[in-house]
Amino acid sequence: MQKIKGFFKKKTFVFSIVLFILVILANFTLQYTNLGPDKFAKRFMFLLDNNIRGFLPLILLAIAQAIVLINGSIDLSIGNLMGVVAAFLVTQYTMDDTIERFLQVFVIAIGIGVLAGALNGIFVSLVRIPPFITTYATSFVFSGIAMWILPRPGGNMPEIVTTFYRKTLPLSLPMGIWIILILMLLWLAFRNTRFGAHMYAIGGNEKAAFTSGVSVIRHRISVHMIAGFIAAFAALALVLITGSSDARIGGAMTLDSVVAVVLGGTPMSGGIGGVVGPIFGVMTLGFVRNIVGFADVDTWVQSLVDALIILIALASPSFIKLVLRQVRK
Amino acid sequence: MAQNLTSIDIVKHYAGVTALSSGCLTANSGEVMGLIGANGSGKSTLCKIITGVVAPDEGQLLLNGTPISFSTPVEALNSSIAAVYQELSLVPSLTIAQNIWLTREPMSGIFVKYRAQRMHTQELLDLFADTVRTSFTPDTLVNELPPDEQQIVEILKAVSTNPRIMILDEATSSLDNRQVDRLFNLIGEWKKQDKAIIFISHRMSEVFRIADRITVLRNGKTIGDFDSKKVKEKDLITLMVENAKDHLEKTDTSISKQLSETVLKVTNLRTLRLKGIDFEVKKGELLGIAGLQGQGQSDILHSIFGSIQFSGIIEFDGKDHKFKHTSQSMAKDIALVPGDRAKEGLLMRLSIFENIMLPSWMKYGLPLNTGKATKDAVKTSKSLKIIMADLNMPVSSLSGGNAQKVVIGKWLQRKPRILLLNDPTKGVDVGTKKEFYNLLKDLCKAGTSILFYSSDDEELVGLCDRVLVMRDGKIRKELPKLKLTLSSLITASVTSSEEFAHAED
Repeated sequence: MQKIKGFFKKKTFVFSIVLFILVILANFTLQYTNLGPDKFAKRFMFLLDNNIRGFLPLILLAIAQAIVLINGSIDLSIGNLMGVVAAFLVTQYTMDDTIERFLQVFVIAIGIGVLAGALNGIFVSLVRIPPFITTYATSFVFSGIAMWILPRPGGNMPEIVTTFYRKTLPLSLPMGIWIILILMLLWLAFRNTRFGAHMYAIGGNEKAAFTSGVSVIRHRISVHMIAGFIAAFAALALVLITGSSDARIGGAMTLDSVVAVVLGGTPMSGGIGGVVGPIFGVMTLGFVRNIVGFADVDTWVQSLVDALIILIALASPSFIKLVLRQVRK
Repeated sequence: MAQNLTSIDIVKHYAGVTALSSGCLTANSGEVMGLIGANGSGKSTLCKIITGVVAPDEGQLLLNGTPISFSTPVEALNSSIAAVYQELSLVPSLTIAQNIWLTREPMSGIFVKYRAQRMHTQELLDLFADTVRTSFTPDTLVNELPPDEQQIVEILKAVSTNPRIMILDEATSSLDNRQVDRLFNLIGEWKKQDKAIIFISHRMSEVFRIADRITVLRNGKTIGDFDSKKVKEKDLITLMVENAKDHLEKTDTSISKQLSETVLKVTNLRTLRLKGIDFEVKKGELLGIAGLQGQGQSDILHSIFGSIQFSGIIEFDGKDHKFKHTSQSMAKDIALVPGDRAKEGLLMRLSIFENIMLPSWMKYGLPLNTGKATKDAVKTSKSLKIIMADLNMPVSSLSGGNAQKVVIGKWLQRKPRILLLNDPTKGVDVGTKKEFYNLLKDLCKAGTSILFYSSDDEELVGLCDRVLVMRDGKIRKELPKLKLTLSSLITASVTSSEEFAHAED
């Protein structure tokens, strides 16, 4: 009993993995006939390929959000920040841009993301306005800028890049899976740096970290800059799906990113958790929405069921802990 | 290299209160300097100034003859001065290893060498081997550790910087005997390595065991520096107490109150801090709770009030009540005046009127009879002599003493039968204190029983009918009015029970 309890206490993302397997199986069954190739394994890959590319923008946002939350802050502007960068990208590119020009523009886009993150970070840690307020305010700033850059949905992407993005890569694994694997490796490396270690220390107890000599202010600004950096990549992943963008698309994804992080077992309290759980959290969230979407019901039922499933998923870890405590008594 | 740290006439004020008026000390390498003093004598403040946690208002620090000043703990650390702080400075969600090496992680390139970090940590943990539980490993999370092991981590964190000057501020307060022995062996080794050690403890026996030299602080002033072999414990205690000004005329002892009816009876009270407490409170009695800070005094009050979990029996009017919520104890006319008025006692932004009325609104019917409420509030504020512009001013506009009166007024409004006071005169000016003492006497005459914890030993001596002296979660001594003097109280607080019989001669 104690072992089971300890296991659940330590590996909170177990829930998200179980839920993830359930929803992915449900998706597989529902979509089975629509999945072109005839072999079982190939159909499965096709399912993942179809969906994960669509999940990728939110996966990146959730990673950024997880890092900020572990640090003991929050970023409610991350979706709109992505919207700004996406608007910038599609208005700068044309269909037949070369790879060089694609890269040049994208470097500037990253710069925009990092700068916006720095703005958040400075207000949060130097001016000491609570992160919740700061980033809520900047989210409107970013949303305004996005609408100014891209008043109507539309825009272009270089064809070279969009074609490449749809390719299947070595080991016949789809692009989306490769990217996720690489992201997980990058995260493992990141959390083993001194910066990563201090990120957890500050989130755990800011005052103790300061007394031990961690430069809390500089560190937190950097964390928000990293979030902006990742948001720029999320913007790229977003515009690559359709080859165009919409200034309003990011707003709704901010809270989704927070939900996905919590669903993945990284709490909002800071100091603990990781990024692998949230990645599964996003996929779970996406597949849940797929299931509801496939059921032929009214829109209001869709959003209701969607919300209920998320609520149950979020509540289940604490609920199981509660039951375990009662059993022990 | 020989080290020598001197502080000369350090002064520090906190919001009008003088914590230190002349803090002097000298620490030499190869020597243990014991720093002693009663509650609030400025020991911790002096240490915080030396390690850069707090900036001094006046005075000078000399390291090997050169003036120095630190604005952060890290700067002190760079000069090889490390401290074990009284309040823990650990990150609870990190492991022991991560906490000890925070900001000094062993690196290879950009990556932390976790294996090396774990090995270094294990070497440190081995210093306390056999005195800790088997689960005390480098990878254990700090929030899973009991207080004693957390304190050991804190000590080891200071040790890991390999300082030349080490300050131990109440570093033994949560340790058991074996752990203290181990620490003292280590201190002996550090002495041989020519480190300078400043050892602060409430426990006189420990100071005498380990210190070569003892410096005494009283009311923020250094009043003496002694060779520990040539001075007697009794003399030091007198020195800690002597000349403490008596701003309280002792109430007439000849009139012994007629105390017969037991109102409150506590049997075998236990909490995380308390280790079995038994006592009785009579009707109209003013019972004091004394002892050094943090010996479990607040836990007694909170247990009776039902605001923390406890085991044991608390009988009120001869009936056992297990209060699970403060509303139940309030219904039985028990009131608690909390220690930290800004945090627990007052809603700072709300008006004085709202604050006074907050716990009593249910008496004013529905819809609320605000006219009567205002009249009552005016009466209360007048009887307490709260100095204010208007009842509708926010509490934050009041001075500390007046704000404290509002907290008391808030509970007097309910006419409590048992009043629990948790260090109510902290940061209150002398004039207000006097009014407050008169108020308490009047209340007792009217039959209210008062349980009064205070960190100010003098006011306990001046006011109380009886005082319980706490140490390590137990009542170590009960002092009746006739035996109640400042020196008997402080002696009981700082000497362990075995020594007590000896010291009393």
